[in-house]
Amino acid sequence: MSGANSRLAVFPTRMTLSVMKQKLKGAQTGHSLLKRKSEALTKRFRDIVRKIDDAKRLMGKVMQVASFSLAEVTYITGDIGYQVQESVKNAQFRVRAKQENVSGVMLPVFESYQEGTNANELTGLGRGGQQVQKCKDTYIKAVETLVELASLQTAFVILDEVIKLTNRRVNAIEHIIIPRYENTIKHIISELDEQDREEFFRLKKVQGKKKEAAARDTLERESRQAAEGHVDEATSKEIETEIDTGVLDAAMAEPSDLLGGDDEDIIF
Amino acid sequence: MEALFYNADDGYLEAIVRGYRGSILNNTAYINLTQCETLDDVKLQLGASDYGSILQNEPHMSTSMLAQKCTDKMVQEFEYIRAHAVAPLQQFLDYMTYAYMIDNVILLITGTLHERDTHVLLDRCHPLGVFDSMPALCVATNVAELYNSVLVETPLAPYFMDCLSAEDLDEMNIEIIRNTLYKAYLEDFYHFTQSFGGPTAEIMAELLQFEADRRSLNITINSFGTELSKDDRAKLFPNIGRLYPEGNLKLAKSDDIEQVKATCDVFLEYRQFFDNTAAGSSKTLEDRFFDYEVHLNKKSFQQQFHYALFYSFLKLKEQEIRNIVWIAECISQGQKERINNYIPIF
Amino acid sequence: MAAIGDEDSITGLLLAGIGHIDSHQKKNFLVVDAKTPLSTVEEAFQEFTKRKDIAIILINQHIAEEIRPLIDEHDQAFPTILEIPSKDHPYDPEKDSVLKRVRRLFGE
Repeated sequence: MSGANSRLAVFPTRMTLSVMKQKLKGAQTGHSLLKRKSEALTKRFRDIVRKIDDAKRLMGKVMQVASFSLAEVTYITGDIGYQVQESVKNAQFRVRAKQENVSGVMLPVFESYQEGTNANELTGLGRGGQQVQKCKDTYIKAVETLVELASLQTAFVILDEVIKLTNRRVNAIEHIIIPRYENTIKHIISELDEQDREEFFRLKKVQGKKKEAAARDTLERESRQAAEGHVDEATSKEIETEIDTGVLDAAMAEPSDLLGGDDEDIIF
Repeated sequence: MEALFYNADDGYLEAIVRGYRGSILNNTAYINLTQCETLDDVKLQLGASDYGSILQNEPHMSTSMLAQKCTDKMVQEFEYIRAHAVAPLQQFLDYMTYAYMIDNVILLITGTLHERDTHVLLDRCHPLGVFDSMPALCVATNVAELYNSVLVETPLAPYFMDCLSAEDLDEMNIEIIRNTLYKAYLEDFYHFTQSFGGPTAEIMAELLQFEADRRSLNITINSFGTELSKDDRAKLFPNIGRLYPEGNLKLAKSDDIEQVKATCDVFLEYRQFFDNTAAGSSKTLEDRFFDYEVHLNKKSFQQQFHYALFYSFLKLKEQEIRNIVWIAECISQGQKERINNYIPIF
Repeated sequence: MAAIGDEDSITGLLLAGIGHIDSHQKKNFLVVDAKTPLSTVEEAFQEFTKRKDIAIILINQHIAEEIRPLIDEHDQAFPTILEIPSKDHPYDPEKDSVLKRVRRLFGE
């Protein structure tokens, strides 16, 4: 909650306030979107984990069957290990990577394919050739399982990474960015309120002064009238205009006041 | 006549081999082995047999180690026999090792072609196929050199001479070379054993003919759908065996397993190999071949005064090692349901 | 694809045809036996992780155990490291780097 007290360094104006509000809204939408994405990914992730667990166990069995078939070959043909190693030229069994899109994350999927000629075609020609071929087939199947497992595992690693990233983002938005915007907005509002109150006070002050002046004028005029007997029309009109201007000033401040009131509604 | 003088030279060794035969695991031992839960149990069970002593000092059991140790034991027994053998028998035993030599030479050629460290290769060679000039093979850096300077020195030289030129070594698939050599070897061995006459010739003929036929059948079946042309295939068939010549001709033209079956239908013994309806049909063709081989080898112990028994002993011992390793493999990998696929010997 | 493993595993994988030797005689697999020094394994592993044409690295679990720190360090999605069981060492999900992470995420 390091962001609890921090706020953006902005100048508290109504403009920035509305910008901030937009940003907050954006952050909230983003947050819910990311959260949903992370949930989708986690779901997929759990699927994959389950599959990996199964596949790993399956692999254990498959590999056992495969190595057993190799034992069969050894039983009949003798040791072919060296021969097989020496006859290696080009990979017959290859994999290529494809991509699969899961909630915007590219997951590689390995796909195996056969290519070229069989280098061990004549192995065990005089003895045990069928076993060698059978063993080969078993191993090809085993390797296919392995390839599948490899895809799952890659997906696992990438998804793990992506989920972590997404979760980090979600948390960052939730615990830092959103509070920061909220703080900024709160700050701007309180600043604006402060300004409003100052303004209001200033106006009050001005009005008070004006009223004082007017009262003084009236008093003077009355005393003068009392002295001169008649009210000078022109002078009273002048005073009236002066008061008008004061009211006008107050009116100009009014809209912001109204907005301020609105804001207060939001806050309280 | 042969029986009269046999004991003078070979009687001791025959007795030894028959003694060794007694140590081959019997059915009860196999049943006990199959009951084992872990490799340590296997070790315990084997402890009562001849293998007990070699496994004693091994703290950690693994199937490859087991195979290694058992092979060592077999080689040791064989070497003992060979060391005591005299003229004709010695040659006979040498012939038996040629089969392993072929594998070793092929291994070395492969290694040389790929410029591998040849000392590593030497470690991998079958101990029975080691010959004196073998380390020299490692000196050669390219195939032509290998052929000209080194291979001619080996006992296998005649086989190479007969069927391959230096260029062939470069171009041909290593498996084809192996099978060509093996074919030449089988034929040579066959003719050699026939020169003995008597029971040796009789029994060895049966064994080698079966071996030849098995190779022919295997090559045919395994070459379906490969780049090996029918002509090339025909060249790899040994020119001995019961299938030769008309069976081989038919095999050379076969396109699928059905035709192979039809070819074998004429021969009573071979018909059963393809008879899938028989009991225990879970067995593969190879298993049945092994079955039959064991059967033939067992038969050779029923006669006396001949050399085939040495050959049979080695083959049975090999089968036994395969059985033990198979059982150990099944146990270590938890594939108990297949454990009974071994081939009982006695 | 690349592979690091004991001889049997590699033989099997090569039978399936994953083996490749490029024009510089560089292999994409490494056979590890009892004599292979750890540094060779580490070098091979690091080389495989840097190569662009490798998307999946298969490694025997008991070998992975030996270079565990390196594997844990590797956090990129590419290439993916897959721990596979070997013949003599049955698969133990407890040791797998990825499964450990899974467990960390959901387990505690």
